[in-house]
Amino acid sequence: MKSKAAAFLFKITLFVLPVLIFFEVIFRLGFYPIMTTSTTYDMKMRQVRNQHIRNVKLLAIGSSVGLYGLNSSIIAHNLNSSYYNFASWGLQMADISDMLKDYADEYNPQYVMICSSFADFTMPKNESYNNYLNVNSHIRNNFPEVFYFKKYYSIHQIIRRKFKTYPVLLDEWGGSCVPTNAKGKNKVQFVLHNVFPTKYTGMNYNYLDTLSDFLQSGHIKLIFIQAPIRKDCAGTTAQQQVITTYFNQCKSIVEAHGGTYLNYYDNHVFADSLFIDQYHLKSAGSVVLTNEIVRDLKGIVK
Amino acid sequence: MVFNSIPFVVFFVLFFFIYWVILGKSVKAQNILILLGSYVFYAWWDWRFLFFLIGSSVLNYFLGIGIYKSNNERYRTFLLGIGLFQGLGSLVFFKYFNFFINILIGFFGTLNIKPDIHTFDILLPLGISFYTFRTISYLLDIKRGQVKPTTDCVVFLSYVSFFPSLISGPIDKAKTLVPQLENKRVFNYSKAADNMRQILWGLFKKIVIADNCAVFTADVFNHYQTLPASSLLLGAFLFTIQVYTDFSGYSDIAIGVASLIGFNITRNFNYPFFAQNIADFWRRWHISLTSWFTDYLFNPLAIYFRDYGNTGIIISILLNFIIIGIWHGANWTFILFGFLHGCMFIPLILRGKLNTKKRQSENTLIPSAGMLLNMAATFILVMFVFVIFRSDSVSQAFDYYHRLFSPTLFSKPPIAEKVNMIVAVLAIILMFVAEWLQRNREHPLQIDFIKPFALRAAIYYGLVFLILTFSATKMADFVYLKF
Repeated sequence: MKSKAAAFLFKITLFVLPVLIFFEVIFRLGFYPIMTTSTTYDMKMRQVRNQHIRNVKLLAIGSSVGLYGLNSSIIAHNLNSSYYNFASWGLQMADISDMLKDYADEYNPQYVMICSSFADFTMPKNESYNNYLNVNSHIRNNFPEVFYFKKYYSIHQIIRRKFKTYPVLLDEWGGSCVPTNAKGKNKVQFVLHNVFPTKYTGMNYNYLDTLSDFLQSGHIKLIFIQAPIRKDCAGTTAQQQVITTYFNQCKSIVEAHGGTYLNYYDNHVFADSLFIDQYHLKSAGSVVLTNEIVRDLKGIVK
Repeated sequence: MVFNSIPFVVFFVLFFFIYWVILGKSVKAQNILILLGSYVFYAWWDWRFLFFLIGSSVLNYFLGIGIYKSNNERYRTFLLGIGLFQGLGSLVFFKYFNFFINILIGFFGTLNIKPDIHTFDILLPLGISFYTFRTISYLLDIKRGQVKPTTDCVVFLSYVSFFPSLISGPIDKAKTLVPQLENKRVFNYSKAADNMRQILWGLFKKIVIADNCAVFTADVFNHYQTLPASSLLLGAFLFTIQVYTDFSGYSDIAIGVASLIGFNITRNFNYPFFAQNIADFWRRWHISLTSWFTDYLFNPLAIYFRDYGNTGIIISILLNFIIIGIWHGANWTFILFGFLHGCMFIPLILRGKLNTKKRQSENTLIPSAGMLLNMAATFILVMFVFVIFRSDSVSQAFDYYHRLFSPTLFSKPPIAEKVNMIVAVLAIILMFVAEWLQRNREHPLQIDFIKPFALRAAIYYGLVFLILTFSATKMADFVYLKF
């Protein structure tokens, strides 16, 4: 009976083996497993793994505002510290808070720079990031194939993601520029979150508070960059009031935990021509913003 | 952990290895492993209710022995009463408390009285409807003298919490499962291979058909007010298929898993969509539940009302099906679902054809026109009643029906996930063809008659390919987990 059961298990293993080999083959062919619902995030985590990024002195994070707003080479060459931009599309403060708890251990940052705008305070937490963050870092760095099975996404979905996703080209520090076509117009159609505040805004403020507290207790310096927004976002007095309240709220939370709050909302420096839309900067805009940030951080990042 | 998840695969491979390879010689050790495994399986969902499951099992174990040993009929009835009170009481509390409170509030509301009573946030212990029915049938069978109670506590606790059927059935009676737990199990290689095929078929039904249907039906039932009638009709059709493939898929996996560790548990579905009438349908649909109710509710009712002829049978059937409806959940929709199914029996009762089993010719390749007509009529009736089952309220169900019969019935339904829909429809056709051709076997993948191994392997890998490639964008929970 023993040997029959063992033989049965062995045969089942043989039956399953071609399936496992199949997944290894599609992995090698570039049909990567879907880890989270964010294409950019998955792509970025693959880059982190492939470049063996371990210790990052200055860790940037945020949504598409941070992804496209920070010019990597300017930061890397002027601040003289190891740098990586973990920003990806759609991250909310709630998501960032969860991620930083994981990244603090894995990348040992001394400075965390959040480049953000009001859109990062408008949506609920994306639970799909837990599918990646809950996995032991050794496994996710050395055996990413596990994500084919951890939360199963069909091969049809994997193929669809590979061929039907937005073009995001990451530089070696995880940053990116908005891709433009031959006429200089951006190819990316952003889903804008222009309604502010939303029912999730308060919750995201709480998460900003949580992450600020977490970083402070870990002796990691938080630098909160308030990214510029286009003039028409605060065109009326009422809008201006909402934006001012939002700025003050962020400032008070960050500074209460010993963080640095830098606000670049300045319509004179950031003219409308530097924006793709209400809060995403063009490549030229990101250069202007990053130069300003670098100038201000020189005394802070040592 | 659900059957179609990696944690379960890991759990079961380990379990299987320890069960057969290490503990193969000791029934007692195997039973202890079953018990521990079942508790781990249950606690994986929510450990808090594990203590409730254990407490309820231990109480019923002693009640069973007490009922058997006592010669005093009144004392035996008293002990049975305690068991019924505990089982039905916990069901009423966890499942129906808020429902009754809402009825009470509504009743007082009609009298313009605002009573100071409130509903509570009550978490439903997983599988309570299933394991409670096991303990109740155990006590009733002992009281009736149909089974002897087991004196082995591990055996009884394992019977109540037997993990392959703990969460969503099949609901096995003690006389089926307890003797198997007490006797030595033998590993049968060819049977195990067949069990794997049944599990594969169950996964195909659940992942390729049910989950893909669920994407569409969720959309239809959530937005039925804005959709054309053709979408509503398609939604009703696909929901009927979804419930069947989801639940029968689950049952196939449960039966396969149980059989891999040497247990034969009750078959739950017998190709219900080939039923010739509604009575035939219920002989083939959720068989373990239907037979439970037949034994412990319908038969006693039919005996009680035996002097009233057909009227007595109709009353018994209606009560039986209303209770079956309530078993599904605390909502008027389920009560109406049961009531309507009961009503559909009335023509059969009046024509004296309730127990007439129409034989399907076993070897015909194509069903006769009459058979096909009967199957279609039964399916359509069942499909329309499933709209009530799926709706959040009775008024929503009626609104759905109202919108279903409109000129847009002949328009093209909008479909968002086209690939998934095409796959689902093709897979449904494949399933029906396979089930029809294999309708005399326990499951359609019993294809030993195909001699070339390569062809059989191609069929197995073909199904694996479909499962891996076309699972839905969102994996849905098993429908019957919430009951």
